[in-house]
Amino acid sequence: MMNLPTREQAGVLIVSVSGRIDHITSEEFTKALDPLLDRCAQGHPSVLLDFSGVDYISSAGLRVLMMASRRAKGQKGVFAIAALQPLVQEVFAISRFNLIVPCYVSVETACKVLGS
Amino acid sequence: MRHPAGLLLAAIQAGRGRAFPLLLLTVGALVLNGIDRTPLLNVREALFDQYQRQMPRARTNEPVIVVGIDSQSLVKHGQWPWSRDLVAQLVRKVHAGKPLALGIDIVFAERDRYSPEVLSARIPDLPPDVLAALPDPDRELASALRDHPTALAVVGLSKALPGSTQPARPLPEFNPGTGLDQHLPQYAGALASRPLIEKSAAGEGLINASPGLLQANSERGVLRHVPTVGSINQLPFLSLPLEMVRLALGGGAVVTESGAQGMTAIRIGDYRLPTQANGEVLLHFGRASSNYYLSAADVLAGVHPPQIFDDRFVIIGFNSTGLQDRIITPLGESLPGIDIHAQVIESLLSGQALQRPVWMAHLETATLLLGGLLLIATIPVLRPRYAVISFTALGLLLIAGGYLAFFGGRWLFDGVSQVLLLAPVFILLLGNTLVVADGRRRDAELQLQRSREDAARVAGELDAARRIQMGLLPDPATVFADERRFSIAALLEPAAAVGGDYYDCFRLDDQRLCVAIGDVSGKGVPASLFMAISKTLTGVLMRRQADLGLAVRELECELNRENAEYLFVTAFIAVLDLTSGDMEYACAGHDAPILQRAGQLSRVDTSAIAGPPLCAAGDYPYLAGRMQLLPGDRICLFTDGVTEAGNGLEMFGLGRLQSAIEDCAEAELQITATTLRDAVRRFEAGQPPADDLTLLLMQWHGPAASER
Repeated sequence: MMNLPTREQAGVLIVSVSGRIDHITSEEFTKALDPLLDRCAQGHPSVLLDFSGVDYISSAGLRVLMMASRRAKGQKGVFAIAALQPLVQEVFAISRFNLIVPCYVSVETACKVLGS
Repeated sequence: MRHPAGLLLAAIQAGRGRAFPLLLLTVGALVLNGIDRTPLLNVREALFDQYQRQMPRARTNEPVIVVGIDSQSLVKHGQWPWSRDLVAQLVRKVHAGKPLALGIDIVFAERDRYSPEVLSARIPDLPPDVLAALPDPDRELASALRDHPTALAVVGLSKALPGSTQPARPLPEFNPGTGLDQHLPQYAGALASRPLIEKSAAGEGLINASPGLLQANSERGVLRHVPTVGSINQLPFLSLPLEMVRLALGGGAVVTESGAQGMTAIRIGDYRLPTQANGEVLLHFGRASSNYYLSAADVLAGVHPPQIFDDRFVIIGFNSTGLQDRIITPLGESLPGIDIHAQVIESLLSGQALQRPVWMAHLETATLLLGGLLLIATIPVLRPRYAVISFTALGLLLIAGGYLAFFGGRWLFDGVSQVLLLAPVFILLLGNTLVVADGRRRDAELQLQRSREDAARVAGELDAARRIQMGLLPDPATVFADERRFSIAALLEPAAAVGGDYYDCFRLDDQRLCVAIGDVSGKGVPASLFMAISKTLTGVLMRRQADLGLAVRELECELNRENAEYLFVTAFIAVLDLTSGDMEYACAGHDAPILQRAGQLSRVDTSAIAGPPLCAAGDYPYLAGRMQLLPGDRICLFTDGVTEAGNGLEMFGLGRLQSAIEDCAEAELQITATTLRDAVRRFEAGQPPADDLTLLLMQWHGPAASER
């Protein structure tokens, strides 16, 4: 089971994700993310994934993010990602996933925007 | 209704396979306790005999001399019975030396036939003066016996037969106690020598073998134990050899040691022999020897000096084929019965007899139960090979324990009967283990078979799916066989049997060529199904919708309609005007293709128009980009199966792809495609591919090419 430590900062629930998110780990990632997404709704803190520990993400990983984003949108919650490593940033750039999930340069930047 | 065999198996397996062995063990313990009534007694006695054969009693000195009335004596002195004055002569010859004691293994019950009364009765004509001059042989013998430590033989009889007499010399000062009395042999009557003779003797000893010996057929005539003491009409008598020892020691008292179960040992002076409860000694036999046998004829003739008898026990008895009783010893030797007396004396003097006290039987029952319970506890949880080793070790331990007990202290411990009684318990336990193991193995085989069949079926279906999927992809070499304005080469290798990548290339009309590449998120069967839909829809919508941007939007809309699994597709679609070289293109989250122009590599610029993958957003307003190709330009479309191929440490990456393309700038497209693929596989260095790999290479030769 993937471990996702969380902390709250400036009214934002920050979730630290680490390792590779590929075809094999995507299922675990989905399960770990599920209880956090339950709370990602209107009137609840925004959920921000700290991606500084993620080395690689495959299309299966992107799919998890897409579904998370859709769910958050359906619950009128806010779901975002911050602090992407260059390689992951490149995947996001190519696949234009920054159009699907809001991406921020750093956790601090994200908190400034989302915490208001 | 169950099959009888099934019922039996169920009974055997009751209590997790332990109930039945436990029952067998209980039966085994009962058999061991009543072994005298079972054929197992033969096994036990054969084992105890075997102990003796392995270690017979050492006969270092010869304290006993047997003066045998043998065939030579009968030839010389005539038929038996001899006149008693001849016997008296023999006795005097022996007494000429200084024997410790003399025993006579003969009963002189009747009047001598040469006595004057018998002779006068037979020959009435004999003159009275002749008769009066005749010696009385009985008196002769009585006088020869007198004043020496001499013991006569007595035969105990179970019934008072005609002629039976009460022997006159019972043991003095012998009080075995009432408790012990009932264990000792009792005789109602006896055959003893004439009162005249027995009164001259110092003592009388029983020469009976074990009472009931002949009835106990299981012993098969092998003499294993001899009585030490018995009572005739409530009067105690020692056996002849023991009486001789008692006389040699001055005729003192005899003491018995006893426990709750009966007698345990007999003591004469300082000598002690362990006995059974009924006073019998389990003789430890020594090998037969003829060294201490003298012929009565030789003794009578004075062949041997009298000193030969000094400080020896001497027994006179029969050693002739016609007269003697012969016995079989546990060592398998046939000996004259008189030899037993010699062996008893030797045993007493050395204090050596076999020991099998009452508690030995309890010990055997205890070890049997302990061993059996150990087997019942361990065998079902052990693997068969260790089960066999365990039982063998237990058996060897019991048997070796028996031998060690014998060699160490002449204890008779029966390990073999225990092994024989444990064997059925073990066989049943092992059988159960094997039955269970066999059942498990069959189940496992069945399951393996099933899973193989399943795997084969799935593999067969996947193989069919793969053929269909690969059949969906056009082969540019055949589709555009006579096309001179452009060339196309394509290659697709799924990571699994089926994959989620696809490519397509077709002419919209005579002027326009459409090429597409796509990558469904994930891989395997789910991705492959979505791939088939995407590829088909792309083809249909591109032909129907003239505006590329709108076509892509429609494509997303159609794909999104029924997409319960939330799969998405990255795609790059281009439409090339074959005359002008004008290329229109749309990009949905896909890697920008590489453009090769006059040896220089660059990327098709998608930054302004690229949108997210199809179905990721659901309603993205895709736009088309546009660029002008020059004759000879090459475009390389690829999926992340190329750039993200890994060797466990790093990924192939765009840089390696570009340098690989540069390396084969002038090569034919098909060769370039396979060269690029080979470069990726070399880089992976045997690592299984993580994702599907797709390459599509297109070269526009320019408008002039068609006229060439």
